[in-house]
Parts: sequence; C-alpha cells; structure tokens
Amino acid sequence: MGNKNHHAHHFESAAAEFEASKQGLWVFLVNEVLFFAGLFVAYAIYRILNPDLMHEAHKYLNWKLGATNTVVLICSSLTMALGVTAAQKGQQKKSANLILVTILLACVFLVIKYFEYMHKIHEGLLPGGLFSYHEPIHPKAPQFFSVYFVLTGLHGIHVIGGIVVLAWIYMRTLRGEFTDKYFTPVECTGLYWHFVDLVWIYLFPLLYLAS
Amino acid sequence: MSHDEHHAGESSNYLNHGKGIMSWLATLDHKRIGIMYLWTTLLFFFFGGIAALLVRYELIAPGQTIMTADQYNKAFTYHGTIMVFMVIIPLIPAALGNFFLPMQVGAKDVAFPRLNLASYYVYLAGAALATSTLFLKGVDTGWTFYTPYSIRTGTNASMVVMGAFIMGFSSIFTGLNFIVTIHKLRAPGLTWSRLPLFCWALYATSIIQVLATPVIALTTFLLFLERAMGIGIFDPALGGDPVLFQHFFWFYSHPAVYIMVLPGMGVINEIIPVFSRKPMFGYTAMALAIFGIALVSFVVWGHHMFVSNQSDLANFLFSLITMFVAVPTGVKVFGWVATMYKGRIIFKTPMLYAFAFLFVFTIGGLTGIFLATLASDVHLTHTYFVVAHFHYVMVGGTIMAFLGGMHYWWPKIWGRMYNETQAKLACLVIFLGFNVTFFPQFVLGSRGMPRRYYDYLPEFTALNRMSTYGSWMIGAGLLWVAIYMIYAIYRGEKASSNPWNAMTLEWQTTSPPHHENFTTIPKVTDGPYEFKDA
Amino acid sequence: MSHDNHHSGGSHEEHKHHILPESMGIKIWLILLFFTFITVWIAQFDFGAWNFIIAMAVATFKATLVCMFFMGLKYDSKENVVIFCTSFLFVTFFMILTFADVLIRSDSIPKGEAFFKTASGPAKFKKPWNSTPEIVAHGKALFDAQCVTCHGSAGQGNGPASAGLNPKPRNFTATDGWKNGRKPSVIVGTLTKGLNSMPAFATLPAEDRWALAHYVTQFGPSIDKDSPADLTKAGVDTSKDVIGEVVSKSVPVDFVIERMSEDNR
Repeated sequence: MGNKNHHAHHFESAAAEFEASKQGLWVFLVNEVLFFAGLFVAYAIYRILNPDLMHEAHKYLNWKLGATNTVVLICSSLTMALGVTAAQKGQQKKSANLILVTILLACVFLVIKYFEYMHKIHEGLLPGGLFSYHEPIHPKAPQFFSVYFVLTGLHGIHVIGGIVVLAWIYMRTLRGEFTDKYFTPVECTGLYWHFVDLVWIYLFPLLYLAS
Repeated sequence: MSHDEHHAGESSNYLNHGKGIMSWLATLDHKRIGIMYLWTTLLFFFFGGIAALLVRYELIAPGQTIMTADQYNKAFTYHGTIMVFMVIIPLIPAALGNFFLPMQVGAKDVAFPRLNLASYYVYLAGAALATSTLFLKGVDTGWTFYTPYSIRTGTNASMVVMGAFIMGFSSIFTGLNFIVTIHKLRAPGLTWSRLPLFCWALYATSIIQVLATPVIALTTFLLFLERAMGIGIFDPALGGDPVLFQHFFWFYSHPAVYIMVLPGMGVINEIIPVFSRKPMFGYTAMALAIFGIALVSFVVWGHHMFVSNQSDLANFLFSLITMFVAVPTGVKVFGWVATMYKGRIIFKTPMLYAFAFLFVFTIGGLTGIFLATLASDVHLTHTYFVVAHFHYVMVGGTIMAFLGGMHYWWPKIWGRMYNETQAKLACLVIFLGFNVTFFPQFVLGSRGMPRRYYDYLPEFTALNRMSTYGSWMIGAGLLWVAIYMIYAIYRGEKASSNPWNAMTLEWQTTSPPHHENFTTIPKVTDGPYEFKDA
Repeated sequence: MSHDNHHSGGSHEEHKHHILPESMGIKIWLILLFFTFITVWIAQFDFGAWNFIIAMAVATFKATLVCMFFMGLKYDSKENVVIFCTSFLFVTFFMILTFADVLIRSDSIPKGEAFFKTASGPAKFKKPWNSTPEIVAHGKALFDAQCVTCHGSAGQGNGPASAGLNPKPRNFTATDGWKNGRKPSVIVGTLTKGLNSMPAFATLPAEDRWALAHYVTQFGPSIDKDSPADLTKAGVDTSKDVIGEVVSKSVPVDFVIERMSEDNR
C-alpha cells in the first residue's frame, strides 16, 4: 500500500502489473455477466410464455423515472470516462472533481430508485407471495415484479458497491496517490462503473418499455 | 514492499520465512495460502468422511441401525454438501494449485496475492456458516437443494444455501487469479506449448469457475429470497417453475463436476510422464482435450433432469450432446496409456495412484454412458447405480488424483520424504476398499435399489454389507495415509530438490521452496516433459 | 499520447496506454443520449414483435459504444476482447438450452385433483362386469398395448419378453394350469394383485381391468361366466352402474412435500 510508482514484487514492471490488474477486472466482469444472465433467462421465459404479461405489468412502472435514470447513468459514465482520462494525464484535481460528480450522479440514481420502490411498496406491487395490489392485473404479475425487484435490486447493490469504491478512489486521488504513471485503480473502477451502466442500458427497455 | 532479511543459504525457505501464527494467517505467499487451504479442506474431508461412514453404517442392515430416518437424511445431506462444496471443489485447485501453479509457470506469486488470501477467508466464512447448522436444526434437502422441498423444509436450508453462495465467491476469486497468472506471469520462454498440463487443466478449471459459479451464486440467492419472502420464481404454489431451479442449479453444478475432476486429470498428466520417463503422448491433443471437456461440460446439464418432466426435445438434445463428452475424455485416457507404452515405468506411490485413477475413472466414465443414454437413465437415475457412477468419477477421479499429487509433491512442500513401503500398502488398501465399497452399488442399482432411501429390501442386505465393510477399508487407508504423511513432515528423510527427476519448474528450486520460489527467475528452453534420460 | 494500438498480448513488454480524448468521450455521450431518446420515442408506436427487436438492437448498439470507447475495449489487447466476449457465448448456451425445455415443455403429468380424475377416468361402460362386444373390443386395444410383450398377440404366453420369465406367462388358449379358474372376476383379481412374475396392474382403472378380463377369456376353448355370487365375492355391487373404487397411481408430490415439511417444523 502507498507504493506510488512501485509495483508488487512478483511483477516484472509497473506496466505488467497494470495489464494484469486490468485483465483481472475483465475476468471479473465476465463473472458479472453470467451472474445477471440467470435473471435475464428467467425474464425471457416469463415474457415468452406470457406475452401479455409484460404488456400489462410494465404499465405499473414509471417509464419517465426509468428514462431519467438512464440519462443519469449515461452522464455518470461520461464523467467517469473523463475522470479516467484526467487521471491518465496526471490531472489529479480534475480527476477528483469528475469522480465526485460521478458519485453524486450515482446518488441521484439511487434517490430516484428509492422513490420508485416506495411507490411500488405502497401500492402493493411486490414480488411473488407479497403481491397485494388492490385489483387483479395478470395471474403472473407477481412473477414480473419478482424479476423486476431482483434485477433492479441487484443492480442497485452494484451501484451502492460502485459508490463505495468510487469514494475510496476519490480519497486516494485527493491524497495524490495517482500519477500519469500509476492510475490502475482509477481505470479499473472506471471499467466496473461502465459495466453497471451497461446492465442498466438493457434493463431500461426490457422492464420499462416492454410492450 | 521491503524484503525481510534473508536467512543464510539453503535453509531459508517459505516455512521459516516469518514466524508466529500471524505470519501464516495474514500471509500473501501463495504457498502458505495453499497450505492453509490444504489443512482446511482436509479437515472438512474428515468431517464429510465421518458423515459417509455413518450413512454406510446405517445401511449395513435393513431397518433402523444407528439413526432415525430424519437423522439419515441429514447425514447424507452433510456428506454431500461438505464433500462437494467444501472439499473436492477447492481441494486440488485451491490447495495444490495455489502452491504449484505459480511455481510451474515460474512466477514469484499469483497475480493478486491479496485476493488469494481473501478467497481463503471467504471460503472459511461460507464453510463456517454452512456447517454451523449442525448445531441448529441441520439440513435435509440433499446437496442439490431441489425446489420445492428446499423452499418448504423447516430445517436450516437458508443458511447452508447462503454458505454455498459465499463459498462460490472464493471459487471465483481463485479462478480469476489463476487465469491472469497464467496469462501474465509466465517465465521467459514458457510459451503456451511449453506449459505443463497441470497448468492447462487448472486454466480450464478456472474458466469454468469464472463462467459457471456466478450462476449458482444467483440461484442460491434466489432460493434464499424464495424462502425468506416467497418471490415465486421457483415455488409452484406461487406460480413459479421448480424445474427452472434445476436448470439454474445444473448449469453450474454440471460444469462443477469438471471443476472437481479436471485438476485431478492435471495431476495425473504430471505423474504419468515423469514415472514413465517419456514425453507426454500427444501433448497438444491432451491440452485441447481438456478444453474440449470444459466446453462440452457447459451444454450437457440437462442429463441430470431426464425424469424431471423436461421437454422431449431438451431430453434428446442433452442426451446427444452428453455423448460427445466421451470424445475428449477418450483422447485423455488413450493419451495416458500411450505415454506409458514402452516407457520405463517406475512403480512409486504417485504412479500407483495414477494406475488406480485410470482403472477407476475408466469404469466411472463407461458407466456414464448408461446414464447419458436417455432410455436407460430413466430406469437408473434414482438408483444406487448413479451413486456408484458418481463416486467412481469423483472419488476415483479426484481423490485418487489428489492422493497421487499429494505423494508426488509432498517432498517439495515439506522437503521430507514419506515412507514408501507404507505408502504403497496404504494405496492398495484404499484402492481395494474403494472398489469393495462402490462396485456392489452398481449391482444394487441395476437391481433397483433406490438411492437416498433410509431402508431397503432384505435381498439387498449382502451387497450393502459388503459396501459398508469397504467404507471401513477406505477410512482405515486414509487414516494410515494421514499418519505417515504427518510423521514425514517432522521425521521424514530429507528430500532432495528433485527426487523424481521431473522437468517442470517447481522441481528446479530447493525443497522446500524459497520464499519467492526461485532465487532467479528461470528461463525455459524446453517442453515440460523432455526428459534427458529418456 | 498516440492512438496507435500496439498490443502485447500476453507478453511483458512496455505497453502504451490508450487515453480516450475528451472530445471523443463527449461525442459518444451525445450519441448515447440520442439513442436513449430514440428508444423511448419508438416505444410509443406499435410495430408488434419489431418493438422488442428494435429496442434490443438499440440497447446493444449503446452497450457496444460503451464497451468500445468508455471501457476502451477497441484499444485494449485482443486477449481482453476475447475474454469479455466469451461471457456472451456462454449466456447464449444457457438461454438456448433452457428454452429448449421450458418453452416447449407441456405439463403432461396432471397434478392434484385433476390427477385423480384422469387416473380413474370417466366411466365409459355401464356395468363393466357384463361382457359386451364393445367392452371386449376395448379390452383388445388394452391387451395389444399392455400385455402382448409377455403373453403374445395370440395369447399363447409366448411374447418376446416371455423368454426371461419363470414361471412362463399364462397361455390363455389352454385350460390347464388355471388354479383359480378362468372366470373374469378371478382374472380381474390377478390383474389387481399380480401373480408370480405377473406384475399388478392396479394402476389401470377397474373397468379397464374388466375389459381385459373379458377379452382374455375369449382366447380359451370355452368362456366361463361369473355367477352373481362370484361378482359379490369380487366386491361388485351389481345394483350400481359403475365400480365404486378409487384408483390411485401415487400420491401427488405437492401433498407429500407439504406433509414432510410440516413434520419438520
């Protein structure tokens, strides 16, 4: 720790360590893709077997909030990408600010999500056995909300995890730990954050715009 | 990171580099982490073995012998859960692999040492959570946690399922680490075509771990949610599909069978050329076959579900694709045999285990054809035939290979030799005990004795009794191995740095190895099995 | 920094990092926002199945942009590209083979109450203990499906599976060896309970067993009839039209699971 320009003893050079770290993150993202895959399979099955289900159920999701969140995440992806660029150029101050904006955008996403969730919980649009909406929608609607809550919930957990890591990176950037020679953690966090955005890019049309 | 002062000369090694319990618990040295994994998995192997002995003892005679039907359900569930999730998945990759993969590629450590240590503690946490249920209500679902029973059971299924979830991450971390290590940390000159086959096997295993384990993580998480709040994805009472759980479960758990057996094949790949004094026959084909097995393993999971009311199309496809597993597996078996052909075979203990592996694994593989065939599987799937097949592959494949690998590398790990005569005799006892235990189960199964049952018809008594006696033989054999191996650590004869005259890099350093594995990073100029005396 | 992507693959040589220019980042961001708008806008129209395809195509296009530029995969080593793309290959395996079951599976095994209905079946024949040409024809159909493998199509006990059986299957054309006589009620009893190597066929509804019995007696040189006393002895209430017997193949799984889990609580 705190080894600014040094590399761990088992690597030949700092560049080799950077390449290894980045590849490690890619392998981790492969694992993330497969993690979400199961839910996408479940979603696809319920959708294909009950074509009218999605059409009925998605009306109970607020597409305006979903679209706003998509824009928020895309913006956060941009600030993250610019933050990484700044870090690579050794512009510490700029990088820190951009990471801070990314964290704030992530928080905006979560706040919007919170209001969406609260609304659903209030209405009784809940997963499976907890479903208690005042009028019947579709016999499989509880399944739709199961998939909705688990998918967006797991995505939300990834956002929260991202905020934690970003905050850590922000602190380290402020402490001046990164230079134009050593910025591995910033770049790797960036990759992770773009992946979180990537998942949402699919979730938004699948859940909110299904018709 | 500053280097500690070096101990004088030869005696400086990873075992005396740093003293005290914290130098182990907080170590980033892949060798020490490997050793911690080794002892932990062996401890769980002991518990899982006790559960197996209890199950077998209950079945020594029809009716109640030592436990109630409820206790029996729990005993075999713990046997399965412990052996699968806590023993054979981490046994070879995380213990032997952790120790020897970086050495075989000529690296000082794995790519991410902290992640490696984290994987150990994550594993420990998951295993502790799962096994702590022993002191509560236990769990009685069987290791497969099939819905809907696992949703309804009043036992602690949630805790065990979350334990499996947590242990999954440990497996993913190890896999990730190995993939990057093999890609990025190979010594100069160690091209892909010079990579030892143990590394190839671990590489394929790691790919499976990274691709498949997240799916079981999600599945166990959904099952947990199903139990906690009834999300209705798997629960038929809420409109869910219980068979979907089986798909999700086996999408991981079938490839997981190869997470268990591929590293075993890797160990055998190392032993056979060294003790036949011949280069590996068809090195490229052997490496490709490992990948063939890994790839096919992802598309055959439905053969566990032939009687689950799966669609006829899926049954047909899975039965057909399963047959393709035979091709790469056949390549491997023939490759091993061809390597031995006209070799100067040295009958040391590791080689004896390799023979045991070949004998037992081939039977396991061939009986698999009966189970891959749709028509015969329908009759055999719920019988002891499956139990026997599974143990012939998993115990015969993985445990025999692990024991072989342990005997092969023990001198390198500790710098001491074990007693060869005792080792050979113990190997014989284990091999015989294994066949006495499990061969009768093929017969029992084909005569219709159902598996998982607490009781059986009186006509099955003789074979069941034989099987139970065999389990005692295995237990005694393993205990014997434990005794002389631990004795060897303290009192064994000093081992030379390369007692088997092997060519792979781990043998080109001192025994036990230096803290950083090699004093200078080796340069590789030859393939891993190009023996000078051949 | 140069844009030249020179890549080292697995080697350890010095690697030039690609830096995403700010202007490029902003361009990508604008494209992403534009296509988000497109997705929302196009969802208002109804193109049938095309809506989904368009939405997924747009999402994939956006995802690709994020991957290639924000995540720098376009400039990254081929190794990482292959690694990341592998995941989608395996997701495809996962989807296709799961679909091969779930989407075309029919729930062919009836459950719960429906199960009992199919097991017993609605009564097709009134007073099945009386032999009629219709019930004998029904018996023949059943016999050809269930019995010929052992008893042979001519009822001589020489079907293909008879070779491995000891004692041999009954020869219906001969009169010898019938310890309990050749009356239909007795044959129904054998069908229900089984005898030696003959398994029980209690899973067949009662009227099917009677139909089989009537058909089997036709093979013989003479046809024995049941007396009213025989029928009473066999448990038949001749005053009713049907045989009041509940046939159960097995207990529904749901039911057993509920009971087992209650025991465990």
